[in-house]
Amino acid sequence: MKHTTTTATGGNTQAAWTRGVRPKGRRKALLYRVAELLESYSMMAPAYMVFLVFIFIPVVWAFYLSLFDYSILSLKHPEFAGLANFAKMFGDSVFRVSVWNTVRYSLGTVPARLVLGLALALLLDQKNLFGKNFLRTVYFLPVVTSMVAASIVWSLVFNASEAGLANQMLKALGFAPKGWLADSKLAMLSVCIMSIWKELGYVMTIFLAGLQGIPLELYEAAAIDGVTGWQKIRFITIPLLRPTTFFILVCEVIGSFQVFTPTYVMTGGGPGYSTTTLINLLYTKGFFEFDMGYASALAVALFLGLLLLSWVMRRVFRAEEIVY
Amino acid sequence: MNRGNDRHSRGLILEIVKYAVLILGAFAMAVPFIWMVSTSLIPDSVIISYQLIPTRVTLANYVKAWNFSRNFDESVSLGTFFLNSLIVSVCITGPALIIDSLAGYVLARRRIPGKDLLFYLALGTMMIPFYVIAIPLYLVVRRLGWLDSYQGMIAPFLASGFGIFMFKQFFQTIPQDLEDAARVDGCSAYRTYASIMLPLAKPVTATMAIFKAMWSWNLFFWPLLIVNNIRLKTLPLALTMFRGLNVTQWGMLCAGMTLATLPIVIVYLSMQNMFQKGITMGSLKG
Repeated sequence: MKHTTTTATGGNTQAAWTRGVRPKGRRKALLYRVAELLESYSMMAPAYMVFLVFIFIPVVWAFYLSLFDYSILSLKHPEFAGLANFAKMFGDSVFRVSVWNTVRYSLGTVPARLVLGLALALLLDQKNLFGKNFLRTVYFLPVVTSMVAASIVWSLVFNASEAGLANQMLKALGFAPKGWLADSKLAMLSVCIMSIWKELGYVMTIFLAGLQGIPLELYEAAAIDGVTGWQKIRFITIPLLRPTTFFILVCEVIGSFQVFTPTYVMTGGGPGYSTTTLINLLYTKGFFEFDMGYASALAVALFLGLLLLSWVMRRVFRAEEIVY
Repeated sequence: MNRGNDRHSRGLILEIVKYAVLILGAFAMAVPFIWMVSTSLIPDSVIISYQLIPTRVTLANYVKAWNFSRNFDESVSLGTFFLNSLIVSVCITGPALIIDSLAGYVLARRRIPGKDLLFYLALGTMMIPFYVIAIPLYLVVRRLGWLDSYQGMIAPFLASGFGIFMFKQFFQTIPQDLEDAARVDGCSAYRTYASIMLPLAKPVTATMAIFKAMWSWNLFFWPLLIVNNIRLKTLPLALTMFRGLNVTQWGMLCAGMTLATLPIVIVYLSMQNMFQKGITMGSLKG
């Protein structure tokens, strides 16, 4: 039926079959086109079936659920609650603390990763650097390890006892041991340090890729004009890395607002609520208290918040670009 | 002359500082690993003060860590969790590559109504954080009866907007003539895809494979939600059982973490370039 009936006569085949000339007769051409469409759609079907069942339906359902009072533990049906879940959210002091903690985590990790990642990339980008590949490998190693394993090891590093690595270092430097993860003032800092360590190699690698994209001629031209090392970085490298920096910034900010594993594994959100992030709260509400309606409202709020945040970042970056 | 010398020595100092910073940094990155391995080699009874290089070495912790889960279920060892992780990541990576590339091929090459819409839908999936849909997704999977099952862990990740996007981008770079020739010869779209397009896409497929395999190997939140049965737990999930040990048995805990980390580190070291390509792939074209 389909393609086997055709005998092409060379020449401009592309034009020939896009005009649907190949099968003789109108009916045949139509049938051919339908068969072709069916074939195309059948190739896409698996992907879009997965999307439909596991993404599109859940997204709509999340918005829907956020308007209901729904606990999967009780037998009663979901009850329409309007915006009550959202109202509850703003009255919930744990929610406010978790937003603040999430912001603290974001501020504690993103700028440090960007600055250190860029510095490392600049240092490691030099051509005749001895042991370059070895160093890159070491810096990248934490990225490939599992976040759970890393978090567990770091919970020993930041153990409150004297045997913890962090406390041993303090001792060696002549300071008193600290509580780290057991201290509500230091717990978030400890999580941030671990998290910077874990993802630094990733940021570095993306920056390195961005550096590869800067044409060498620019540096050569600058060298002729007598531009020195630091000026080169300040006036050529950093401005030209703008798209890379923006990409990393957006990814990192959005990622940091969804932090869950390190806080879940290292502190369980504690001590008190000192490291409870938005997703920690969502997890507790949804899967311990089974308050699915409220948890969905949290999810929707997170989604809208992230959309707003990326929109703002885009605006700010654009606005700044005009300055250059 | 004098100035030249000055500049020379300043350059030298700068060079030394640069190396010192890099090496110190690398050491700081490596210390947790070194400490983990050395702690895993020290008998738990003598752990009072830790050294980076242990004096008395034992492998007993590794045996204990391997069999730790038998406390909960006699038939389950660390090997079970490795196997589960392997099953999940292979069953996600393999099919997902085919599903993504098929859709990517159609979006890149075939004339169909609604193509733009379908493409934007695929891109749109990338903008939805997983945590946002986690609750309804849990309800969907529960309704399918897939809680505590492999298919529950695998099915939601069998297609990704990112994968479709990458394959589409790549297929668009392949000359149209090649495909036309095949079609003139009477190849169906499936044949063209399988015997012409896919073989040409080997580099992207390989990078994508590494990316997906690593991603699914480290999957944590989703299995945490739907898997309770210890026999089905994947490695990251099982590792959380070790958390309780941080009071007493650091040696065994570290041995467990070393065992869990070692395979991926070995794979990474043997395929370094692929890993870094897989990581940067999203940023370059995105």
